[in-house]
This record gives sequence, structure tokens and C-alpha cells, in this order.
Amino acid sequence: MGQETFHNIGTSTDWIVMVAYFMVIMLFGSYFGKYNRSTKDFFFGGRRFAWWLIAFSIVATGVGSHSFVKYSAKAFEHGFSSTMTYINDWFFIPFFFFGWLPIIVYSKIRSIPEYFEKRFSPSARFLATMLLLLYMIGYIGIGFLTLGKAALPLLPENMSILGMHFDVTLMGVITVIAIITGIYITFGGQTAVIFTDLMQGFILLFAGLLLFALGLSYLGGFDIFWDLLPTSWKMPLAKFNEPSSFNFVGIFWQDGVAGSIGFLFLNMGLIMRFMATKSVNEGRKAAAFNVLFMLPISAIVVGNAGWIGKAISLVQPDVVPPNTSPDQIFVVVANIVSSPGVFGFIMAALTAALMSTVDTLINATAAIYINDVHRPIKVWLKKYDEDARSEDKHELASARVASMIITTLGVLAVLVFRDFPTVYEAHGFFHSTLTPPLVVAVFLGIFWRKFTPAAVITSFVGGVALMILGANFPGLLIAPFDHGIRMDTAHPYSYIRALYNLVVCSGVAIIATLTTTGQRKIVSNIKANDNSKYIMYFITALATLIFVGFVFSSSFITLDSESIPEIIVMLLAVFLMSALVAISTTYFIKYDQREKTTGLTAWSIAKAKEMFKGSKVNDEEGEKVKVNWKRKDTDKDLVFFSKNDMAKMKANTGDLVYISDARKWLGGLKSTHSTFGEPHEEDGIVYLPEEHIKQGQFLEDRYLLAEKEM
Amino acid sequence: MPSFFDAWLPFIYLYGVGGIFFFSGIIIIKKSGAINLSKKRNKFWLRVMLFGFFYFVALHFLVNIAALYF
Repeated sequence: MGQETFHNIGTSTDWIVMVAYFMVIMLFGSYFGKYNRSTKDFFFGGRRFAWWLIAFSIVATGVGSHSFVKYSAKAFEHGFSSTMTYINDWFFIPFFFFGWLPIIVYSKIRSIPEYFEKRFSPSARFLATMLLLLYMIGYIGIGFLTLGKAALPLLPENMSILGMHFDVTLMGVITVIAIITGIYITFGGQTAVIFTDLMQGFILLFAGLLLFALGLSYLGGFDIFWDLLPTSWKMPLAKFNEPSSFNFVGIFWQDGVAGSIGFLFLNMGLIMRFMATKSVNEGRKAAAFNVLFMLPISAIVVGNAGWIGKAISLVQPDVVPPNTSPDQIFVVVANIVSSPGVFGFIMAALTAALMSTVDTLINATAAIYINDVHRPIKVWLKKYDEDARSEDKHELASARVASMIITTLGVLAVLVFRDFPTVYEAHGFFHSTLTPPLVVAVFLGIFWRKFTPAAVITSFVGGVALMILGANFPGLLIAPFDHGIRMDTAHPYSYIRALYNLVVCSGVAIIATLTTTGQRKIVSNIKANDNSKYIMYFITALATLIFVGFVFSSSFITLDSESIPEIIVMLLAVFLMSALVAISTTYFIKYDQREKTTGLTAWSIAKAKEMFKGSKVNDEEGEKVKVNWKRKDTDKDLVFFSKNDMAKMKANTGDLVYISDARKWLGGLKSTHSTFGEPHEEDGIVYLPEEHIKQGQFLEDRYLLAEKEM
Repeated sequence: MPSFFDAWLPFIYLYGVGGIFFFSGIIIIKKSGAINLSKKRNKFWLRVMLFGFFYFVALHFLVNIAALYF
């Protein structure tokens, strides 16, 4: 039986509500564009927000990316277990709270690839940038695909505008959505995104729970709904290893492990939110609140349309046919259980949430472009403007252009994913394939001091080659990890391939690290030779040639995916290539382990904090102080409190201070960071330089709240 | 009624393998000195992390029981 698809769902009232909603959201976002005074504000929102504001703004990003469409689809097919991935993010929280989060804040990095340069080398940064850009653009593509699938059932199959007749296609809808999305991210920046997401986070939760309530009411109450669903549909976790399109063990490795680390450690959009909190501790609070409370609620919010749809299809198959296209079930159910106008509101909330995800990702990808492509190229070409303010202005303009280009690439990325049966499987395949090399590299970088540049580059190159081999020979290479999952020949091992990919990337990384002494011996022998440079050029060229051969192998050779001799030859080639890469990087990269790990691994967090401050950390816990402010004519980054106020805060001259508008509901929007200058005698007064007054957008008649940071 | 294999194996695997990752994390951050338990604030976060783990174990356990017997 084929899948039933729908068009023209909704009334003109719904469309009016949707258009009005979008206009309000865009105006709201544009208003906060005024808080962008530099690229630091455009990308990071100026490291000033309270935890609760970030926690709620993450809801729209998280829920948007783990969207209504894909979870409702799986909920309609499999029940409550569709949202199991919302409740498996806690396992890596210790690593995040006390490893990655303090490192990214204290090392003052602006992007993940920058960490790779500080911790390893510029070449490691280059490879990480390439992989991360692929990851981010792929993520944007998934977001656009979901948006298109959500919007398509609302539109007619074809329409006429100014006498021109055309079909409404998925790619056409996505292109229009991309233009709207691009507009306010380009002109708004991170502060706009945070505040739009904050508003949308609330509305989204309300809309999702409203839909659940309307659905239960339509069915006649919770008891009827509960009794209608078969037991297997109420299980919170899927069946262990079947079917291949949705099984527990594959999804655990794809989402619970690779996805969770990817989301917490590599998703620049999310990381930039944590970097926008006023301190590491506030970042921890935001993350804990989000994972403990918001994600379980979000699981109900995003999945319930599918559960309700299943229940209706059991009692009224003429209203919701059992063969309804899963990716359309959210829209179909929302239309059935809600009245005109309410349906428009729910759809607007859904699409706006998806846009939140996409705009966060576009902003984050633009940050990577500026930090890891644009700026290094300008420095290399010696065209970097030494005047920081003038350069910042240029970069802000480039960031806006980059946002538009990235939006276009995101639309093109949809072409890769649109042939998967559902968005869920497309996302699963994407996560399993792109995250493992980066996940392994960043994870070992943070927690293993012995992990070297040679090892990280070898794990990128060798790991990717082995992943390509796995994709070409799934029956031989991925099958040993399959936990009994049947291989679907159309999309082999969409989820469990994540385990294989993680194992091979980790394996290469660990072997390359443990053989460091051997690599150094080989390199010193080569260096003793008069032709050492030529030998190294040859080794590098050979390794590159083998890698290029792997990338394009399936294009110019017909591979027999069951041939054992072929796989043995390929594996030997990977082994040889990895060895050559390790030797080559050991030869070319100068690496001082002590210098490159201080403040950049979990083993030296205290040192990282000290480096952030620039002097010894003052950890004494003091009080917050409420003060009035006065202007001081100085260019120095110093603020001046009275002796008594500093004593209350347990602060010394040179310590760091955070000052915000005393109205807590602003969540730090009007705030700034600075350093304590020499104290004066006027209690209850702080003297601020002009730049800090502008940065904090402080008002003359408003009190400020000050607290010592460290 | 689903078999034991379908009803409980995913739960055991989730918190068995996931638990290995979680407690390795706790051990590593403690051993590396990233979490300093002589500080009040860090002690609080250790309690939050442990609470979170058992909170999710309890959540899954209760929903599993509700699905099977109610």
C-alpha cells in the first residue's frame, strides 16, 4: 500500500495567523540587532546572559533540530520510543561540565577549529574546519528539508502567480523559506537569535502541549488514549535490534553516543549559547536545567502528534489513514484536532522553531567561516587591519555575506538527504557518518594529554578512509558491530555504522598516539639523510594520492562489496597511508606537549582559569553589591568601586567583575564585564568608562548589580 | 506482552553501557583535578550529576513498568 500525502491543509484564517506570527518574530529579532557592537556580540552575544534565559533559548534550538516532523513520524510508526533520544544526553555531562565547557570559555576560543590550532597545530585546525563546515552545512540542510516537509502539506499542488503557472515542489518551498530565514539572521546576529529563540521556546512548548491536550480531548480523554495504544507502542525504548529502520541499539550509538557528544561538544550553535552565558557556572546551570527538565517535556511536545495520530488511525481509519505519509502526520493531526486559527498558530510555532534551529546553525557556521577561514587567510595575505575596530567592522560585513552564502549551501545540502524514507533516517545517517572523526578528535584532545598532532591528523585521514571502506563494504566491515540488526541494502546500517565509525577513528587515534616514539625515531633517521626533505615530500605525496584514491574509489572502480581479497588490499593501503601521514606530520609539525596542553585539557582547568584572568584567581566567595553609576573619562578597561563595596564582594584590584542592570528579568541583556581598578571612598557608586556604558546600554536612573567573577 | 528481550534488554544496555561512559567521566574529571571537591560549588555539581543519572534510570524504569502493567 502506497503512502497517502496531503495538500491544501488549513484555512485562510490559519494563513493570516501564520503570516502575523512571522512578522512579529522578525520585528522582535530585528530590534535586538542593536545590541551587536562587534563580531563578539554578533556571534556570542557578549558573554553576559543569565542561565535561565539561555536555558529557554536552547529549547527552541534543540526542539527545532530534533523536530516535530521527524519525531512525530517515528511516533506514528513506533510509539513513545520515537523520542528516546531526548532522554539519553546525560551520560556525557561530566565530560562537558568539567572538561569542555570551562576549556572553551577560559581559552577564549571563538570556534572549535581554533581549539584544534591551540591544542595541536594549524594543519589540524584546517582539517577540523573542513569537517566541521561539512557537519554544520549538512545540519542546516536537514533543517531546511524538515521545514519544507512541514510546509508542503499546507500548500496546493500547483499555483498561478501573475499568469504564470507552476508546480509547488519541495525544493521550491525550501528556497522561499531559506530567503526568509536568511533575512533576519543576516541583520540580527546572535543576540537577535537568543531573544527570538527565548520567545519561541515558550510558545513552542505551549503549542506542543496544547496540541496534546486537544488530541486527548478529541479522543475522549487520557484513559481512552492509553488503552487504545498497544503495549509495544507505550514502551519508552525501541526494540533492541529490529527493524533496521528504527532499533534501540543502533540509535543508542548513533544518537546517545556520537550524537550526544556531537551535540554537546561540536554543535557550534549550542556552544555559542553556552559561551553567551555570563560565566561557566551559569553555563552548567543552563545545560543541567535543559537536559533534566526541558528535554523530557520536549519529548512529549514533539512526539505527541504521532501518538495521537496512531490512536485516531485505530478508531477512525477514514480520518487518519494508517498509510498516511509519516513525515506529514504532524500537520494532519494538528489540523484534525484544532480549530481554524489555532491550527495556524501551531503551524507557525512549529515552523518558527525549525527556523530557530536553522538560523542558529547559520550564525554558528558564519562564525566558523570568519574565525577559521576569513581571518587566517587575511593574516596569511598580510591584509589583516591592525586597527581592531576597523577590522571588526569589515568582519561584521563579511559575516553577513557569509551567512547568505551558507544559507544557499544549506539549501543545496537538502539534495543529499531528500531521498531517505523519512527525515529521521536522513538525520541518523548524517550523524553516524559525519560526527565520529570530530567526536574522537575533540574528546581525546580534551582528556588525553599524550594525544599528539600526528595522532589527530592521522585519525582524521585514516579514520575517514576506514569510514569510506565501511560504506563500500558494509556486509564485511560494519556487520561485526551490528548487534544482530538486519542490513537494509538500500540504506545499509543507517544507525549502527556510528559504532563502527567510532571504533575505527578511535583505533587509528590510539595506535597513532601509542606509536609516537617509533614515529620520532623514523623521522630522526630520515632527518639524518641528506635528501630528507625530498623523502618527506614523496611520503606526503604518496599518502595524499592514496587518500584521494579512497575518496573517489567507488567512482572509478567497480567494487565487489563481498570480496575478501579486495578488502584486505584496501585495509593494507589504509594502514600504509596512516603510517605515512603519521610520519609526515611528526616531521613537519613542531610540537611542545607542555605548551600545547596547558590550559587546554581537563588536566589543567585551574591553569586555564588563571590564564583567562591573567593573574592568580581569587576564589573567595563574596556578596553581590547594588550600586549607582557615574561616567569616568578613561580609555582603560577598568571600573572603580568604593573600598567598602569591594570588601563586600571580597574583591581586589585586578580581579574580574560582572556588572548588570539590577532588573533580574532582563537576564543580563544590559550588562558588561570588566576589571576592578583602584578603589575610591564613595560607597554605592561605580565609575564606568564610556565604552562599558555603551556596551551595557545602562540607563541613567537605573541601579546596577555587581559581582566579582574571579 | 513484549518478551524480556524487547522489554528490558534496551533498558539494561542503555544504563549499562551509558553508565560506563558516565562513571568514567566522573572518575576522569576527579582524577584530572577538573572537579575540586574541596569547593562547595563543585560538590554541589557532583551531586547534581549523580542525581541526574539516577533520575533518568528511574524515569525509564517507571515508564517501562507503566507500559507493561497498566
